[in-house]
Amino acid sequence: MMATEPGATRGLAESEDLTHWQTLQVIGRAIRFVAPFRSRFAVKIGLIVISLLPLLMLPWPVKIIIDNVIEGHPIDQPIRPYPELIAPLMNALAGYSPSELLFIVIAFQAALFAVIGAFGTTGSERESTEGYLASGYDTASRTENEANSGFSLAGGLLGLFDFRWTMRLSQALNHHYRSQLFKRIETLPMPALDDERIGDAVFRVMYDTPAITNASYRLLLTPITAPLHILMTVAIISSLYGDHPELVYCALAFLPIAFFSTLPVAGSLRRMSGRSRKAGAAATSTAEEGMSNILAVQSLGGEANQRARYETDSWRSFSRYRDVFRLGIYAVLIGAIPATVVGGYAYFIAIDGVIAGELSRGDFGLLTTYFFHIVTSAQLLGGLWFSVQDSAAGLHRVFFLMDTPGEEDDPNLPALAPIRQSIEVDKVDFTYPDGTAILKGVELRAEVGQMIALVGPAGAGKTTLAYLLPRFVGPTRGSVRIDGVDISEVSLDSLRNQIAFVFQETVLFDATVEENIRMGRGDATDEEVREAARIAEADGFIRELPDGYATPLGRGGGKLSVGQRQRLSLARALVRQAPVLILDEPTSALDPETEARFVATLRALNRDRIVIVIAHRLSTIRSADQILFIENGEIRERGSHADLVAMPGGKYQNFVALQSGAEDE
Amino acid sequence: MPLGLLFIDTLWTRVLQGNPMLEIEAQLFRVPVEQATSAAGFDPALRRVVAERLVIWGALIGLAFAPPFVALYYYQVWILQRVNQKLRVDLLSHLQGLSLRFHSDNTVGDAVYRLTQDSAMVTQLVQVLVLTPFTAIPQFLYSALVIALFAPKLGLILLGVVLPSLVAGGWFSQRMRTRFRMARETNAALTSRIQETVLGIKIIKAYGAEKIEQEAFEGASHQAFTAAFGARNLYAVYAMGMFWLFGTFAILITALGTVEVMKETELAATVLGFTIWNLGLYNYFKARLGGAVESLKDVFRTWGRAQDIAIGLDRVFEVMDREPEIQDSPDAAPLDGVHREIRFIDVGFRYQADRPVLEEVNLTAQIGEITAIVGPTGSGKSTLMALLLRLFDPTSGRIEIDGLGLKTLQTGSLRDNVSIALQENVLFGDTVRENIRFAKPDASDDQVREAARVAAADGFIEALPQGYDTLLGERGSKLSSGQRQRLSIARAILKNTPILILDEPTAALDAVTEQRVLSNLSEWGRDRAVFLITHRLSTIRQADQIAFLQNGVLAECGSHDQLMASARGAYRALVEAERIAAEAAR
Repeated sequence: MMATEPGATRGLAESEDLTHWQTLQVIGRAIRFVAPFRSRFAVKIGLIVISLLPLLMLPWPVKIIIDNVIEGHPIDQPIRPYPELIAPLMNALAGYSPSELLFIVIAFQAALFAVIGAFGTTGSERESTEGYLASGYDTASRTENEANSGFSLAGGLLGLFDFRWTMRLSQALNHHYRSQLFKRIETLPMPALDDERIGDAVFRVMYDTPAITNASYRLLLTPITAPLHILMTVAIISSLYGDHPELVYCALAFLPIAFFSTLPVAGSLRRMSGRSRKAGAAATSTAEEGMSNILAVQSLGGEANQRARYETDSWRSFSRYRDVFRLGIYAVLIGAIPATVVGGYAYFIAIDGVIAGELSRGDFGLLTTYFFHIVTSAQLLGGLWFSVQDSAAGLHRVFFLMDTPGEEDDPNLPALAPIRQSIEVDKVDFTYPDGTAILKGVELRAEVGQMIALVGPAGAGKTTLAYLLPRFVGPTRGSVRIDGVDISEVSLDSLRNQIAFVFQETVLFDATVEENIRMGRGDATDEEVREAARIAEADGFIRELPDGYATPLGRGGGKLSVGQRQRLSLARALVRQAPVLILDEPTSALDPETEARFVATLRALNRDRIVIVIAHRLSTIRSADQILFIENGEIRERGSHADLVAMPGGKYQNFVALQSGAEDE
Repeated sequence: MPLGLLFIDTLWTRVLQGNPMLEIEAQLFRVPVEQATSAAGFDPALRRVVAERLVIWGALIGLAFAPPFVALYYYQVWILQRVNQKLRVDLLSHLQGLSLRFHSDNTVGDAVYRLTQDSAMVTQLVQVLVLTPFTAIPQFLYSALVIALFAPKLGLILLGVVLPSLVAGGWFSQRMRTRFRMARETNAALTSRIQETVLGIKIIKAYGAEKIEQEAFEGASHQAFTAAFGARNLYAVYAMGMFWLFGTFAILITALGTVEVMKETELAATVLGFTIWNLGLYNYFKARLGGAVESLKDVFRTWGRAQDIAIGLDRVFEVMDREPEIQDSPDAAPLDGVHREIRFIDVGFRYQADRPVLEEVNLTAQIGEITAIVGPTGSGKSTLMALLLRLFDPTSGRIEIDGLGLKTLQTGSLRDNVSIALQENVLFGDTVRENIRFAKPDASDDQVREAARVAAADGFIEALPQGYDTLLGERGSKLSSGQRQRLSIARAILKNTPILILDEPTAALDAVTEQRVLSNLSEWGRDRAVFLITHRLSTIRQADQIAFLQNGVLAECGSHDQLMASARGAYRALVEAERIAAEAAR
């Protein structure tokens, strides 16, 4: 449908790729981010060490069975001396017959089995603990395992404890991280957020944040546990087979092999993962839009078109994921040849040792097991950089949003005192970053008790002017003052607390009628809620709803007509009882009679308030104390209705003539 | 596999222990048979030769199999993605076909979650239904058979593990399913939370509800994590319990097998020339036993995951199985244009039994006429038009186009003949051009421009930084509501259908623009049936016929002059009220 790849981001420009250096910075930041959890990480590292120790013991029972039970060698005449750690244990076993030894070993295995869920050396005799569930072949569905990541090297009771600890830690990390991101999204300034696709925000919060788990575990756990594992294994091997260091070298060779085979594709992996996430977000957005606007889709017959859009976006997200998947395969294949050569060489050395009579058959089994212990850890270390690239792409997308300047409510700023006199807009310009000027030198003074109407052609800047007052946008030049205080120097909370704003589009939440109205002021009494509904001409139809004020509205208030929804959002503003009421085309969907009643009530309530209304309807405008006619971002005329219609050749006069000519004969 | 047995035996019994090779092994490794099969001839030098070949050939076989194996895996991923894609698109299609009632009762986030997360489970079906059962179960049986050949008693014990496993597996399954469902539902609710917050962000900001929303989000996030913990923890406990069961059997069987080797017992059957338990055979026996345990672990882990997969897919099919309320009857005919008129005959509609929205509405609209539908808010104007589009079916009465009942027509072809500009101006996250082309994706650029001109939108579009290629956000801040309204009129015009419905088309327009749009429209709408829902007298005056709705009943219907002639008419009262207001204004 579109020539360029549809970016999930519109309003905010986001860099496609990171350099390796920037990646390091992103990851460093993620690590600092998890600092509050350091003690829980320390416990996790302790648990890994505790799980490693018994695993290192596991090969011994097997060796005893082969050498001393089956082959019947006396336990006190080993081919080579036992390592110091094990020697006392082995000596204690000396003198038992093979059958007795078998019994002892089995008992020992059973005990180990209950505690760490392992009784032998191969995979089938060992259980590690994890709770990973099935996922699909796309980025989004794979992240749920990451967010709830729990794992342990051990099985059994120790493994279960470790697993639960880890999953709780992962969840706490993710909860913290996504809550922070959500908070940031809420504070993003309005225009930036308006052009953001909703599905993109969903994707970032739900599916990009889990990258924190992988990044922090890889970088905090692996560099400690992998070398530790290697060191412990090497210590045992060298105390046993000190004359065969080649084996250790061979195993360690897997570190550079893993590193060099993955390094060339690391950058691509990061880019591909970034694209995969972006494509996933676009598919999510398209689905979200279609579902959100189902009335439009159905009534315009847009089903086929919408289906095609989703088909394209969804398949693109699958393809992008496949790119990531393919890179993983390349990395494995590139490393396969050197890994096989080194591994084969190591095997041959061990076999040769047996043929030469230097090693027993039991030693051979033991040695190859230890060998693979080292190999696994060496590969983890060597592939570390590669394995965090996918996370880096996710982290980048999260940090990008977190770094977008939000509306910071400086807690040190003083609160705005209740408005007594006036709002002044002083020589205000507002220009978008791309240079489009929306407002030019606008001046406005509204006194308490006044109603101000903003009038003018569509796109003149009326809404932007109204946005200045609650600081949804800040002026590029000039200032807005309330009772002489610049509103940029008071706390945002205290400012918005004094303003009730009714937007052009009505937004209702999936809650009851009452809850929707009470959103204006959480502690409003039932009586106040009903009173606000009465003024907004909503009480009548609400009472007719099946459960009255307790009727759930369903998604977006879908069960109500547009006019009814508009009246609910008016009620929501009125219940706030704020000194400043701003209405942006509040009555466009109301019939004239209802509207006339509403405006009359509004005027009556207006005594100790400032009302600012944007409207096209003469009946609403006429009753304003002051009318500002705005065109191309500038105020052309101002005055009362009587003053302005008396101005010959005036723009407002012309507007009225057209409007009433239209409304009249 | 025999090859595997020969490799393992050659390694352990021959190379490592130094026993003479079997003939078949000597042939396999291409060493002189006579020398290798004799105790004296199989010296360390020859053992090294065999060891070398063993290692190198093993490595080569591994390397040779890697690329085809990987290619096959990649191909599998691609195929399963295609399956997932089809399910997703079908699900979306089906969701789009469900009634507005369904959508009002269900959250967007839930639908998104079903589309992205639940549907992904279909990619694992092959694994669950085919790959695991067809590899792991035969592997287990094969292992049990081999062990039974060595020692029937041990083979039987191994088979015996199946019964308690099934009992335990059954006990866990139901409990896991409940928790998996909970985990999916809470995650879907969290998705909705985010979606609704971003959608309503303006209100949240304006009313300072950020803290409340933040708390609600954190609550939902916490709930989702708690549910996930419950589900995954139970799954881990299940896996651990199963392994305890298998492991206990495996330890027992290994111990008994060890006794056999110690005693050098004769085998129950001669296998490839082996007759007694030796070290090579013992290691092979252990490998087979390990294989059996591995397969069982695999089967039961997959079984556990399958419970979650089943719940995911169940959530997909829950929606797929929902019959759309509006369905074409099997003999429905396509609507081939509208030539004469549209008639509403005794049409009644109610969402709930005791709350009629429309009652006995009778109305005829001719091609070439403009019908204005007027009345107070909530009187049923938009609902009447929704019935014409068959977004709902009337509860009583019927609607006919050229004498054909709507229910005898294919809904798709009906909607192809109607275009509508909605009261709420919906934009999609796409370019201006694509937004106008939404209902007719194959329209040419000239057609798009022409539609924009009729809707008086060409001026401001051309003034946008990238003109028709400007990207709009879903709630596009770049456009004022009047501009969005004109885009949605252009969208309806471009569809170029015999029936046009404009729902409050000019509410957000200033008088000048409104006049331009209306005069363009009356020109353009000459041979069409146009329905206008509006409150504005200026707009109503353009109509040939005015239908005045009050509380769901058609109170009056006729031309402006006719209605003005009735002294106590509701319409006349409306016009009078406006006139007084307008005069006061002057």
